[in-house]
Amino acid sequence: MIKHHPDVNLLVDYVSGNISPAKAGCISTHNSYCGICRKTTFQLETLGAELLKDLESPPVHNSTFDSVLARLENSPQGQSESLNCKQESFPLVLKKLMSKEFEDLEWRKVTSALSVSRLHTGDLKHECALYQIAAGGKIPEHDHKGVEMTVVISGGFSDRQGVYHKGDFIFREKDQIHAPTALESEDCICLAVSDAPLRFTDWRYRWMNPFLRFSAG
Amino acid sequence: MAVPDSKKTEDQKDWDACLASIAVSNSEAFADFFNHFAPLIKSFAFSGSSMSAIHADELVQEVMIKVWQKAAAFDPKKASATTWLYAVARNCRTDLYRKLRKFDTPLTAEDLMIEEESQEAFDLLQIKRNAETIREKLQALPNEQRQVIAKIYMEGKSHSEVSAELDLPLGTVKSRVRLAINKLGVQLAPTGDSHD
Repeated sequence: MIKHHPDVNLLVDYVSGNISPAKAGCISTHNSYCGICRKTTFQLETLGAELLKDLESPPVHNSTFDSVLARLENSPQGQSESLNCKQESFPLVLKKLMSKEFEDLEWRKVTSALSVSRLHTGDLKHECALYQIAAGGKIPEHDHKGVEMTVVISGGFSDRQGVYHKGDFIFREKDQIHAPTALESEDCICLAVSDAPLRFTDWRYRWMNPFLRFSAG
Repeated sequence: MAVPDSKKTEDQKDWDACLASIAVSNSEAFADFFNHFAPLIKSFAFSGSSMSAIHADELVQEVMIKVWQKAAAFDPKKASATTWLYAVARNCRTDLYRKLRKFDTPLTAEDLMIEEESQEAFDLLQIKRNAETIREKLQALPNEQRQVIAKIYMEGKSHSEVSAELDLPLGTVKSRVRLAINKLGVQLAPTGDSHD
């Protein structure tokens, strides 16, 4: 049972298209697991449609319609691509974000318990990455200069504020320090998007901060 | 406006049927759909006022091409024609904005908003009732709330952009949005972590 959801302001930004690509991917990943938020999203889209209907109707030149027909004639019949979904375990949007099979991702080992794989979204202001934490493993205490969104993909983790399972959406404000620990039962995989690189605050791990900067990789 | 209020009484089902005809390549249906919705899409492009006339025209074309190509994927059991169109228009506008700002991403707005097939498809009746409730309550919304909602949805502004434009604290913009969404009867996930 999913217990942690994006708040309504985030969902409104998502539905109205006012959110960066990486963050949109994070929310749709959550929604792929969460029927409640999918329903909210649908209602918020209905609101968008109602607002659209209320807009003025300025005339559109006939030439626009002709251009559309001409472009359609010249384009191959739009076949909806058939994504083969053999990997039942991942939501479609996550497969798009990974752009390759999970097994083919490149992982960077940060500690014995933590590996990170950066995902390319073209979004230079946000870092989007998958985090893999070994069962029972702990991520060194860290904070962020910006906000961080996390969705649990498999397994689960806990921190001072709570316990999170598959599908849960966690939003951390700037400067909130936390030290997530994976649940003992299985490895934990999370999708996370942050405004700025995380920084380890635990002195034993601070030396690793330069390694967490993805720009080189 | 010169056009009488006939649009307000339009039956949504007509547009559902119209999309179904477009799906089997009926070009008359496509022309009807275009004539009715292209002006609204043009308005949608303009309302952010950051798009020149050329780009508004480009958006209309992009959206209508998608309508033709994707009509077969429209499922009236999942959404009404206008809700479906809103999502198409929003995604096209996002992609166009990104293209104009040379924001280079391998993913389209649509890619990033794919939500897994819901098992619990909404029933038609519920969809209609839903839209009706939202339409009615939208008219009754206090101006200050409606204004904020319209800026976010139609003008494509983020909460913080709206806060800067209206010279209001971000918290005020956020709470106006929350109040409006509550009044519209949108169901939200329970907040708080207290229960199982």
